[in-house]
Amino acid sequence: MANQSKQYNLKNPKGKTYWLKFSVICAILVILYTVAFLFTDLTYRGSGASTGEMIRRMFFDPFFDPVHRENIPENIGYMFETLAIAFAGTLVGAILGIPVGFLAAQNVTGSFSFFGKSILNAIRAFPEIMFAIIFVAAVGFGPYAGVLAISINSIGMLGKLYSEVVESIDMEIVQTLKMTGANKIQVLWYGILPQVIPEFSSYALYRFEIDVRASSILGLVGAGGIGAPLILASQQRNWEEVGVILMIVIVTVTIIDLISTNIRKRIV
Amino acid sequence: MITFDNVSLTYPNGHQGLKNINLEIPKGEFVVVVGLSGAGKSTLIRSINQMVRPTEGRLLIEEEDSLAMNTKNLRLLRRDIGMIFQNYNLVKRSSVLRNVLSGRLGYTSTLKSILNLFSKEDLQYAMECLDRVGIQDKAYQRADTLSGGQQQRVSIARALSQKPKAILADEPVASLDPPTAHAVMQDLQQINKEDQITMVINLHAIDLSMEYADRIIGLRDGEMVFDGKASEVTEQTFEDIYGRAIKEDDLIGEAESE
Repeated sequence: MANQSKQYNLKNPKGKTYWLKFSVICAILVILYTVAFLFTDLTYRGSGASTGEMIRRMFFDPFFDPVHRENIPENIGYMFETLAIAFAGTLVGAILGIPVGFLAAQNVTGSFSFFGKSILNAIRAFPEIMFAIIFVAAVGFGPYAGVLAISINSIGMLGKLYSEVVESIDMEIVQTLKMTGANKIQVLWYGILPQVIPEFSSYALYRFEIDVRASSILGLVGAGGIGAPLILASQQRNWEEVGVILMIVIVTVTIIDLISTNIRKRIV
Repeated sequence: MITFDNVSLTYPNGHQGLKNINLEIPKGEFVVVVGLSGAGKSTLIRSINQMVRPTEGRLLIEEEDSLAMNTKNLRLLRRDIGMIFQNYNLVKRSSVLRNVLSGRLGYTSTLKSILNLFSKEDLQYAMECLDRVGIQDKAYQRADTLSGGQQQRVSIARALSQKPKAILADEPVASLDPPTAHAVMQDLQQINKEDQITMVINLHAIDLSMEYADRIIGLRDGEMVFDGKASEVTEQTFEDIYGRAIKEDDLIGEAESE
């Protein structure tokens, strides 16, 4: 029986090309890493404080030092300011992202969507910190500059994600409603929005998580929030203070992520 | 009354969807359009409310040429024509009632519809429409929690809520199992008889067409190759329309055969 069995091609005909591609990709990666390490200066220049010592000073000592314990309420106050900046920025971004998102959606504006997509790409090319520096120069130190920086960046990301949501909607429903004699605004309200609102809010919440982290560092350039005391403490090598601030940030960000992940699960 | 006067339709890619169609559909008739896929059934139905726009001829609806209408009149015309699709085309995340109410949008001002201010009569009527297709108890459920047959009934209720003069149905039962398909066809037949609403329906199942139609129109390659009373139609007629022998796939089966 075994000899009479049908002849199948048991060898994948693409096998050879596969291994060839694999080796070429490996070779390219090896070259890239070699180049990367050659051009990166990894020489050790030891400083007074060892890493272990610093970690002990940052995350252990503050608990036993009444001076730093006293600073905790003030730092929590800064954290609330940070949250407020993130919240205001996300809100502006989540709302202004909607028109830009629709503008960038191919199935809504056709070839004109290229225009919207270009705006979004241009915005996303900048990191928040750049916008923060620009706005601090333009409107002065403080949270206002921070809110503006966060808003602009949120528009960039949310607009992009919104436009992808809009592009994935069921256009048949839009056609159907048009055929009932509904006008354009009614079609938008009854046919498109119900399809996109849950995803829109989920993305806005996700963006809020990102904005909390982003606004924690905006203070580095004077745009308000907890970043200002953080940069001050680290410049003074006041590692205990740095530790207190970092712990507050870590706890807050973790709590917010947990809550927001939970809400987002329920939305979609 | 819907009148096709030498209507042709050529798609932008050059494909001819309809060729010189001459057809008169009087008010209250139950017309079934049959033909193989690609024969132009959908194109014929969708021309009536200009989901696709015929390129030649005149298409009279109540004596008025719909192809010459401006945007506003076309919108008013569409308000009078309900439409049902194979895939139901409901907003899945909205409630059943809201889906039905969307059939009233053409009669509601933009501001009121945005604020969700439908009149009490509209709400009452939407519920009556749901009641007629037997699913008024589902009114406040999300549309996607319903079965296929129930979703198709919601879309029938949506069409009904427009208080239409005609209902177009593009393969309304193609996604349903035979018993449900028969139930949905019976709903449509009852609406046709009680309200004198003209029905123009695409079907590909031969037995369904023969059972429910008053009149059958056969299409092949965009041309009308048959037009006659359903009572005169035999399987031979279908073989002529299809240009091939009848196969088992062309039949859906009896309502009871589960």
